Amino acid sequence: MKNKSKKQIGNEIISTDNITKSFGKFQALKGITSKIYEQEVVVVFGPSGSGKSTYIRTLNRLEPHDSGKIIVDGVEITDDVKNLQHVRSNVGMVFQQFNLFPHLSVLRNITLAPQKVKGLKRSDADEVAMNLLKRVGIPEQASKFPSQLSGGQQQRLAIARALAMQPKIMLFDEPTSALDPEMIKEVLEVMTELAESGMTMICVTHEMGFAREVADRFLFFDEGLIVEEGTPDHFFNNPQEDRTKLFLSQIL
Amino acid sequence: MLDKKLKWIFNTFSGSVFNTVISTFCIVLLFFVINNLLGFISNSEWAVVTENRRLLLIGRMPQEEEWRAWSILWISSFLIFSSLKSFISPSKKELTFIFLIVMILCLIFTTESSIFKVIITLMISSFSYLLTKYISDTPIIHKFNKFLIFLWIFLVPLVFCLLLIADGPKPTLWGGFLLNIILASVAIGIGFPLGLLFALGRASSLPAIKIVCTVYIETIRGAPLVAWLLLAWFVLPKFLPEFWGLNDISVVVRAMIILSAFTSAYTAEVIRGGLQSIPKGQIEAADSLNLNVFTKTSIIILPQAIRVVIPALISTFIGVFKDTSLVFILALTDLLQVGRIIPEQDPEFFGKALEALSVVAFMFWIVSIALSNLSSRVEKSMGIGTR
Ligand SMILES: Nc1ncnc2c1ncn2[C@@H]1O[C@H](COP(=O)(O)OP(=O)(O)OP(=O)(O)O)[C@@H](O)[C@H]1O
Ligand SMILES: [Mg+2]
Repeated sequence: MKNKSKKQIGNEIISTDNITKSFGKFQALKGITSKIYEQEVVVVFGPSGSGKSTYIRTLNRLEPHDSGKIIVDGVEITDDVKNLQHVRSNVGMVFQQFNLFPHLSVLRNITLAPQKVKGLKRSDADEVAMNLLKRVGIPEQASKFPSQLSGGQQQRLAIARALAMQPKIMLFDEPTSALDPEMIKEVLEVMTELAESGMTMICVTHEMGFAREVADRFLFFDEGLIVEEGTPDHFFNNPQEDRTKLFLSQIL
Repeated sequence: MLDKKLKWIFNTFSGSVFNTVISTFCIVLLFFVINNLLGFISNSEWAVVTENRRLLLIGRMPQEEEWRAWSILWISSFLIFSSLKSFISPSKKELTFIFLIVMILCLIFTTESSIFKVIITLMISSFSYLLTKYISDTPIIHKFNKFLIFLWIFLVPLVFCLLLIADGPKPTLWGGFLLNIILASVAIGIGFPLGLLFALGRASSLPAIKIVCTVYIETIRGAPLVAWLLLAWFVLPKFLPEFWGLNDISVVVRAMIILSAFTSAYTAEVIRGGLQSIPKGQIEAADSLNLNVFTKTSIIILPQAIRVVIPALISTFIGVFKDTSLVFILALTDLLQVGRIIPEQDPEFFGKALEALSVVAFMFWIVSIALSNLSSRVEKSMGIGTR
């Protein structure tokens, strides 16, 4: 809570206007309208199957949306490859299952994209990677392979890998759900540090302690809709909707 | 040491009664097999092999062209034994095994006239091995390894040069073991990269590419290799255009085309299996990092897909190597054909089919066993970093 009052919330960087998405007959998103501002930390939560993952995956087009409009960093997400590249190079993503490249060393996991996409020289990319590994606290693991790391270390590596592309926005899809309890803390610490550094973040998470401390805003999803949104204080002290109350009583 | 062996014997025969019975039975069986084998080896006349050494190894190439085969052998010996040390570093056991096989080969194929050249071959082999061992701790080894890989890649073209330069013999005269090796190398060298492309094409989201690749793969796999070879014999010339004499291309080239096409179709299916085993998350991670299609495919997807299917891939290659003996359909005389014809047509060696064919089988066996050992080695060395 300490830094929050000092924090500057900036301009609008993501806006979604009434987006929908169906899988076959099932409509996973039923019209999501949201705005995310620079340097803001937004926590998305809600029951399983409510469309949280689908929502944040539409933001870098891992899931193409059916209708509505998504604008990220001033560029609309469409089929257009150029737009897509602009968006993806400004949006980093961290997955529940880490999705590290198992056949590449820890260092190479990080340097691959900067070298291939940004055309960094090997030595420069290595330097960037080592600095990021220090930042997430695993510099001594650089030459190992992902499978030789603990779960918490793997997720921290995944965060470092995404940061190497210097994104303006970071998306987290339940980054700690696949971790043993004793490893959750080390990942949340990295995420807290990242939030304090001013990164714009959208996190799907049910770690309410972390969320309460770090988030500027909560979005509560249910059945493909944003049912309620507001500050952490609003949610913890006086939630309005019955569904929100019910869900909070279940997870707290 | 002795203790260990005693323990092993004890373990083999102790345990349940069933275990003991099976073990005893196997040992008795093994004894009979070895006994009969040794009897066969010492009682047979091996002249059928030694006198037809050249036919078995290089086919009907005339004697004055033999130098081509020898230079190929020497280059290959250098490559094989340097790479053996550098990339595989065999254990003492494996080295002994290799030594035994080389000795057996020498025993089978050395004649008085060739003894000098055989000694050169042996010297090149051991010298290459020792040289590589000597430099393996120095910085030169990296450059040397690169050189070896380079040479492997260009080995087949080099072999072609050696066979064709200075007015070489007609390709239809190539034969014996050399022909099997050449055909298999070309088939794998062309079929594997092609197969990669077809596998990627079949997994592609573009319908046109997908359909073309699927139809190709299923057509080639839909008929036996023999049928395709017959097609190459009778039909292919009619379909090929007349200019450049394409309709008259050598049967060896036709065999290469068919075998490469065949290999590519089978390889494609094997690799497709590997592609399907890649978790979706890998592709999503690559996309979220904004990697382009080429990087995503060549650095993330293919290396992982191929690693999974190495055993199946090598089995396919072993199959292709053995299938090269089907080119007798195109009137070529490969190793197996030589082994079959001599005892039938040469009055001097009537009825010596068993001797001839067992040597043929032994040659096929050596290559197959080498490939399958290579496969388990590659698998082991790639084991690190798997999930
Ligand atoms: N690729 C897909 N194909 C079919 N249905 C899908 C697909 N992806 C998601 N769904 C469906 O869409 C709905 C929303 O999924 P989503 O993954 O967004 O939920 P979620 O809120 O992230 O849930 P969880 O907390 O379980 O991760 C679910 O009912 C799911 O079954
Ligand atoms: Mg989810």
